Amino acid sequence: MENEKREKFIVPIGPQHPALKEPGHFEFTVDGETVTGATVRLGYVHRGIEKATEDRNWTQNLYLLERICGICSHSHAMAYSLGVEKLAGVTVPPRAQAIRQVVAEMERIHSHLLWLGVAAHEAGFDTLFMFSWRDRETIMDILEGLTGNRVNYSVNVLGGVKVDIDAERADSIRKGLDLLEERTRHYLKVVTTDETFLRRTRGVGFTTTEQAEALGLVGPTARAANVARDVRVDVPYVAYAEFPVTMTLDTGGDLEARFVVRIKELFESYRVIRLILDKLPAGDLTMRMPRRIKEGETVSRIEAPRGELFYFIKSGGGEKPERIKVRTPSINNFALVTGTAVGHQLADMPMILAGMDPCFSCNDR
Amino acid sequence: MTITLGEKWNEALEQVKLWARINSPWAIHFNSGSCNGCDIEILATVTPRYDLERFGVKLQGSPRHADILICTGPVTLQARDRLKRVYEQMPDPKFVVAVGSCAISGGAFQGCYGVVGHIDQVIPVDAYIPGCPPRPEAIIDGVVKLLGSLKKGPEEQRSGGEEVK
Amino acid sequence: MTIQATNVTSAAQPDAPKGSPMQLLAQWTKGIKTPEINRLDILIDAADMLACVKVLTDAHWGYLIAITALDTLGKPATYAQDVRWKALLDAGATQAASSPIEVLYFFANGPQIVTLRMLLAREAATISSLCGIIPSANWYERELIEMFGITVVNTPDPTHLFLPDNWPDNVYPLRKDFKIEQISSTKIEDIHE
Ligand code: SF4
Repeated sequence: MENEKREKFIVPIGPQHPALKEPGHFEFTVDGETVTGATVRLGYVHRGIEKATEDRNWTQNLYLLERICGICSHSHAMAYSLGVEKLAGVTVPPRAQAIRQVVAEMERIHSHLLWLGVAAHEAGFDTLFMFSWRDRETIMDILEGLTGNRVNYSVNVLGGVKVDIDAERADSIRKGLDLLEERTRHYLKVVTTDETFLRRTRGVGFTTTEQAEALGLVGPTARAANVARDVRVDVPYVAYAEFPVTMTLDTGGDLEARFVVRIKELFESYRVIRLILDKLPAGDLTMRMPRRIKEGETVSRIEAPRGELFYFIKSGGGEKPERIKVRTPSINNFALVTGTAVGHQLADMPMILAGMDPCFSCNDR
Repeated sequence: MTITLGEKWNEALEQVKLWARINSPWAIHFNSGSCNGCDIEILATVTPRYDLERFGVKLQGSPRHADILICTGPVTLQARDRLKRVYEQMPDPKFVVAVGSCAISGGAFQGCYGVVGHIDQVIPVDAYIPGCPPRPEAIIDGVVKLLGSLKKGPEEQRSGGEEVK
Repeated sequence: MTIQATNVTSAAQPDAPKGSPMQLLAQWTKGIKTPEINRLDILIDAADMLACVKVLTDAHWGYLIAITALDTLGKPATYAQDVRWKALLDAGATQAASSPIEVLYFFANGPQIVTLRMLLAREAATISSLCGIIPSANWYERELIEMFGITVVNTPDPTHLFLPDNWPDNVYPLRKDFKIEQISSTKIEDIHE
């Protein structure tokens, strides 16, 4: 009788919600405290960038696409440049490619530290939030020193990069990385040993490898469930063939594993940046690009901090592209929330959402 | 029971309110379509390096407790009504800060079909902070300047409570 | 029955390695292109899409990266020779006036990318849902529905994903004939005016 009388409630979260930095709307159907269903409504930051690329020229698009997402701006610009360069048949000098990789890994560091803070904040662990954001300023300083801006660094130009790394700069980068590495070791210890924190993460939002594949998860979220997919390893782009990274995998499949995978990836990033700084190829930074890009279609895949970023670029031979399709990693990872919410406590929802590192502006474009 | 205060009292009360508002304004952040570059810089202002809280500014979640609305990004079709609603939910007097070139002019997203315009086409704005994104120092400077302008007499001070269509 | 395609670099090869997408999909293939060394574009009929995807997933060949579409408006030359276009024309003469919409399904297996490409008539663009085989395809299908006006049969959730609630009906922003004036009703007047 009790059960029959029980009513189902729908708990809306968002679009303006303290737990979300960005606007998205979630509806959770709950029975008591337990979630029985979840839906997502996106589009609060849908600007129509894919269409807008069709009336901007190839160079203007670089700056527009960079602004799809302020957190992974370099990934977008790099994926686009790589695609356009492929279409134009231009080979970018190795030094430029290596610098692209350095910045890409720096971006991963800043993004993962940012995420670590936000996720810790969702768990009510504000000390970790403050710590990780304080340390993140180190990488922000490095990025600013190197590129002149803290966010949207515009390192890429079509055909190369605009910044160079000299010996002095390399030294200051190394110093910053040493500091970060030490702090990261501390974070790894915290997220794997802090009792209270583990109660919020261990076993929460669990997916098996098969489920993760079926949900179409990508990036660290998938790798935490032992799905061995990393574009940097599978299809090395820029300089990843010469300066390879190893894939970080974890068999946990829960939130804890997602923390561990992301933090371990940071160590890989530190290592590979140091390696490149030691062996930075000499040479030019840019190649000349034609104004009109040859007719054709290409795809460009890179590993953004949140997972596989996919660009499909079609040129009609003119000054403007005919179609650019951007498939961002977050759109796939949202399936994690709708797919694993059922059966969890409502209070776990912000944590599960944070665990996939959502980026609404990437998604909505 | 209603308390009626004399002229002097009212004036004093206003002074106290103004003092309180300037020394501890609460802010809410609303993203109406930004690339979240501005948002992470706003978040950075509350973290140890920049620490906006030393000016008494607190970033919090509910519009009903907020004095300052910090807006980022161009206004998208879907967010426009939410932005207005958030603005209307804030108690008077309220102040709006537009952060970033997008919030000021639409920035890189001018002409996109999903973008209706910039913030001051939808709600009145008191302070503009340019940059793509503005540095955290610039954001703090903008907020502090806004607070400074409140110190001026009530005549020069904008009420911020203009009617919204 | 196999129709010989004319705009292809190589026809379906019966001697393709066993288990390769080329061999797996040979019976539905209407043409093959290899635009880049690691890419394979397989031209198929929309009706055969489900069968093709089923074969690929059963063979555990890669994973779905994205689904997208291209509006070919104003590009008659690109598909004039296409057998799939001719078949579309045969199916209904009304479509002759306009250009088709091409739908692309991208699958990746390591560095390999296979693209299933099919043409849909512009006025009656309909395709079956992939969600029965790959549930995560729903995200992309919702995008096809709202951005290109393609009807996806049997998709579990056909509601708006990105476009606002007050978006006018039958206006599809990623079609080439989309004009910004079509959504003027959703715009605002400036508060200063
Ligand atoms: S001003 Fe720049 S950083 Fe800020 S939302 Fe706009 S594009 Fe992003």
